[in-house]
Amino acid sequence: MSLYSTSVKKPVTTLMIFIGVLILGIYSYMQLPVDFYPKIDPPYISVFTYYDGANATDVEQNITRKLEDNFGSLTNLKTLSSSSKDNISVITLEFEWGTNLDEATNEVRNAVGMVERQLPDGVKTPTIFKISTSMIPVMVFTVTANESYEGIKDILDNKVIQPLNRVDGVGNIYQIGSPERAIMVDVDPRKLDAYDLTVEQISGILTANNLNLPSGSLKMGKSDLPLRLQGEFANSDVVKNIIVSNANGKTVYLRDIATVRDSLKDVDSYERANGNKSVRIMVQKQSDANTVTVAEKVRAKMEKIKKTLPPDIKVDILMDTSVNTLASINNLSSTLLYALLFVVLVVFLFLGRWRATFIISLSIPISLITGFIYMFLSGSTINIITLSSLSIAIGMVVDDSIVVLENITKKLEKGGFAREAAIFGTSEVSLAVMASTLTIIVVFLPMAMLGGITGIMFRPLGMVVTIAVTTSVIVSLTLTPMLSSKLLGNRVSSTTNFSGRIYSFSQNMLGKIDNVYEKILSWAVGHRWSVIIIAGCVFLSSVFLMKFIGTEFMSSSDNDRLSAQVKLAQGTKLEETVLTAKHLDSIFMKKYPEIEIVSTSAGTGDENSLAAIFTETGNYIINYTFKMKPRAERKKSIFDIANEMRKDIEALPEVEKYYVDPGSTRMSGSMGMGGGNYMEVKIFGNNFDETDIVAEKIAQALKNIKGNKDILISRDREKTELQLVLDNEKMTYFGLNTATVAAAIRNRVTGLTATKYREDGNEYDVIVRYDEKYRQSTEDIANISIPTPQGRLVKLGELTTLKRFYSPPNIERENKVRMVKVSSAVSGTDIGTVKAALENEIPKMNIPDDVSIDYGSSIENMQDSFKSLVMLLMLSMVLVYIVMASQFESYIEPFIIMFSIPFAFTGVFIALFIFHATINVISLIGTVMLIGIVVKNGIILVDYTNLMVDRGYSLKKAVIMAGRSRLRPVIMTSLTMILAMIPMIVSTGSGSETWRPMAIAIFGGLTFSTLVTLILIPTIYTIFGVGKIKKSRKKQVKLLTENILMS
Amino acid sequence: MKAVFVVYNQSLGRHVREILNQLTIRGFTRWTDIMGTGSGKGLPHEGTHTWPDLNNANLVIVEDEKVDSLLSKLQSLDKEVEKEGLRAFVWDIEKMI
Repeated sequence: MSLYSTSVKKPVTTLMIFIGVLILGIYSYMQLPVDFYPKIDPPYISVFTYYDGANATDVEQNITRKLEDNFGSLTNLKTLSSSSKDNISVITLEFEWGTNLDEATNEVRNAVGMVERQLPDGVKTPTIFKISTSMIPVMVFTVTANESYEGIKDILDNKVIQPLNRVDGVGNIYQIGSPERAIMVDVDPRKLDAYDLTVEQISGILTANNLNLPSGSLKMGKSDLPLRLQGEFANSDVVKNIIVSNANGKTVYLRDIATVRDSLKDVDSYERANGNKSVRIMVQKQSDANTVTVAEKVRAKMEKIKKTLPPDIKVDILMDTSVNTLASINNLSSTLLYALLFVVLVVFLFLGRWRATFIISLSIPISLITGFIYMFLSGSTINIITLSSLSIAIGMVVDDSIVVLENITKKLEKGGFAREAAIFGTSEVSLAVMASTLTIIVVFLPMAMLGGITGIMFRPLGMVVTIAVTTSVIVSLTLTPMLSSKLLGNRVSSTTNFSGRIYSFSQNMLGKIDNVYEKILSWAVGHRWSVIIIAGCVFLSSVFLMKFIGTEFMSSSDNDRLSAQVKLAQGTKLEETVLTAKHLDSIFMKKYPEIEIVSTSAGTGDENSLAAIFTETGNYIINYTFKMKPRAERKKSIFDIANEMRKDIEALPEVEKYYVDPGSTRMSGSMGMGGGNYMEVKIFGNNFDETDIVAEKIAQALKNIKGNKDILISRDREKTELQLVLDNEKMTYFGLNTATVAAAIRNRVTGLTATKYREDGNEYDVIVRYDEKYRQSTEDIANISIPTPQGRLVKLGELTTLKRFYSPPNIERENKVRMVKVSSAVSGTDIGTVKAALENEIPKMNIPDDVSIDYGSSIENMQDSFKSLVMLLMLSMVLVYIVMASQFESYIEPFIIMFSIPFAFTGVFIALFIFHATINVISLIGTVMLIGIVVKNGIILVDYTNLMVDRGYSLKKAVIMAGRSRLRPVIMTSLTMILAMIPMIVSTGSGSETWRPMAIAIFGGLTFSTLVTLILIPTIYTIFGVGKIKKSRKKQVKLLTENILMS
Repeated sequence: MKAVFVVYNQSLGRHVREILNQLTIRGFTRWTDIMGTGSGKGLPHEGTHTWPDLNNANLVIVEDEKVDSLLSKLQSLDKEVEKEGLRAFVWDIEKMI
């Protein structure tokens, strides 16, 4: 027994199965976490190696090169890039997407193990570090304080960070820019020398005075009591009263030779939020935790924590990744609902019957809900990709039910009985329905097999749509006939009630459309060649339109985030940088009411934190993070604001380099996750000077090309260093060696941590060093006294000479060749245009032979993705042809149908042009989808025309009859899809920019190709059909059928 | 005894069976999924994509007196759904075992 007759005969079973599916789907839906993108594990592994005291060139030669040589043979390695700076070498290994990173990490570890012995002494063991998306902070808070500022580190540690750490799913939490309490002992070197003391001795005395020691036990009577010596500093005041010497019988207290301050460590960073002193708290999630859930819990916990904090401490959310995700998801969900509404309206307008509309509409929730079941089982999330795939599916899942229901209704109108009409009506079209769904599946399923980042992004889309349309076929072959047999009768609806009036209205209107179409079609069939020539011209002219459409990787979207970096001249001291920062702060706060929080940070801060990996810090660098008001509450987009900010920053003469990054996509962009549009030119060459000149020329050329902002050269200018050159002879004379001299200088300039002062379970450093006024100039350095083993003091100036010299601050390499990157943020135009313009300029630059140029970042992604999408496009066309050829058992008919594909492209170009959208990954994916969608119309038309020809009608008549009869199903199934796209096009909410191009492509492509298909396909059919008919038609059949038709 | 050959669009199967039951006619032979075309207005029933309908046929052997009531019931069914197609032909049974 067939599927449909079983389901019609067992309505209860059928109903129960679908109710079961619905319940499972709702359950899955409730369990599904929400996220922005599908889970993406960027295939990057970094290797950090510290080599203290080495400059960039040393690091490059002794560490980076040796490691790189061993990494060359790693499996699946895509690019090998490195950056050698003073003291550190960072090698970043980019693997192919989909590589098993655990295995890769092991391989990297082995490679490091092999090379380790060859590294110079003093190099620390390389650290292997897997970069994951969980390192991107989920939330960043700014904490501002007045009175409590000095003790804020401990308050935050105890009251904020500890409780937050206990929240489920929270990974690491960092404090950035918090001041650290320390006991500073600033000694006066002249007094020190006078009393014959050294910094090291003072440090020793402090350590000796700050001790708790068990001193044995005392037996007293019957008891045995432990003796303990409590010598630790009871409070910080004690420190200054410590006796350091008894010179000439006189007691010397520490306060006599030094100023002791219980205060903050030297400020080496500047942190402000809206101009107030602040600290940032950065919350990361555990790698398997869900961003939105973690953010929600952290937010809730923070509300509770706020009440326990001192009143002057204010906590604000600077960045919350979940807000944008939720907004985008909500936006997309409402789009989905509008699409649903439109589809139901179209169905109702065409059928004019409530019951039929209800039956067809039912296939929407059921098909979509199986999508949720798939997402749940595959461990996916509700994200913008899965949700938009549901939006796409909405317009397609009704098609099968429409075809089935239409045939059943036709049977009923012929006067059949409901049950039989349902069974046999379904049986007749079941093959056609399955075949047309197969054309959709062969387009979407290969999407799930795409490689690279595109594959990871679009796999869920391919799978969800495939599953939804498969379900829709099953629904159309079971539930639809079952419900039709129960709900539909061959009653003629009355024209008096509301639904009856709608029915007659819609039928009248459709009848008129039918008549108009029939006239057009008759004309077209009579003037075949003119129609074909016109069509050809339209297609060719649309190809020229392509010139006016830009290309990019992915549209950037307004996600309420903005960040910026301003670099002053290398070697600018923090105090100077702070002045600029304060000036900019006041400009930004005054000028842009759209900004909620301006978070400013300058200086090195805590260099060891993970945050330092993502953002470049330094005394001459100011980093800005802005929190914008939600998109709905501001008029200017982040892109407009960014453009204005660029002007503000440019006006400052001290600024050497800067960028403004709307959307804060630089970081994720560098991890290959798209978003943002960056032009990146890589210049390879081992000679620093040559490549620098080329970089400068390219930067200049980019400056002259419209639309390039934030042009940056990745290699910083050479920086000045003060080098102390030791005189070995003199050093030996005094009995000193390099290590003792270096340590002595370090202790006096940077300071020596003598001991730790304990209070309330917290430890604070006690730091001894020269008072600031004695370490400000080169003379001060020369005046530093170094104790010799003979107990004498010798001035540093006697041992060394001071020299200034220049060194490259960072050396970047890619695939073992030195490289400079010139990058720019493209806005107001598209990357493709900029690239073309730059390529015109490059030949004029006289580039030396050993320097080569390549493109990276967005361009690299774009080229890779476009290549695989074009492959996918070809593959889809071939597969669609295969499906159709076997369905029609013909080589020619599928070919006729495929004429609708080029016009889908024409439609895409026109729509992209009208809506000012670009050709990017998303609109290309939309175009690929179109192949499966547009041939459906052709299939419906050609199939029915074949039927008419087989039933004995003349070719022209068959074509016109089929056209008239199939006009409604074609328009109806196309309209459901087209209208389902409109909410996505008009939506302006968060994240809408990302998906608009796809909706535009489908909208334009399908609209245009439907209109063309309706006229062109029948026309072409008549040309190819003549021969076929001559061959196949037999006289008897003709006579017989004509007899039948006559009567 | 008469033999009544009822050939009908298979979508009428349930109704033909009901008629036989109503008349308490037990004995019959049925062929399903068979092809045919009517001599007059009928469209071909071929089970193909072009002509998707198919017929069933019952060969019913009944007592002479039941023939008329059977034919009239079949005729009214045919009138109800004229486009589906139903025909009945009667001939004599000469011998039986």
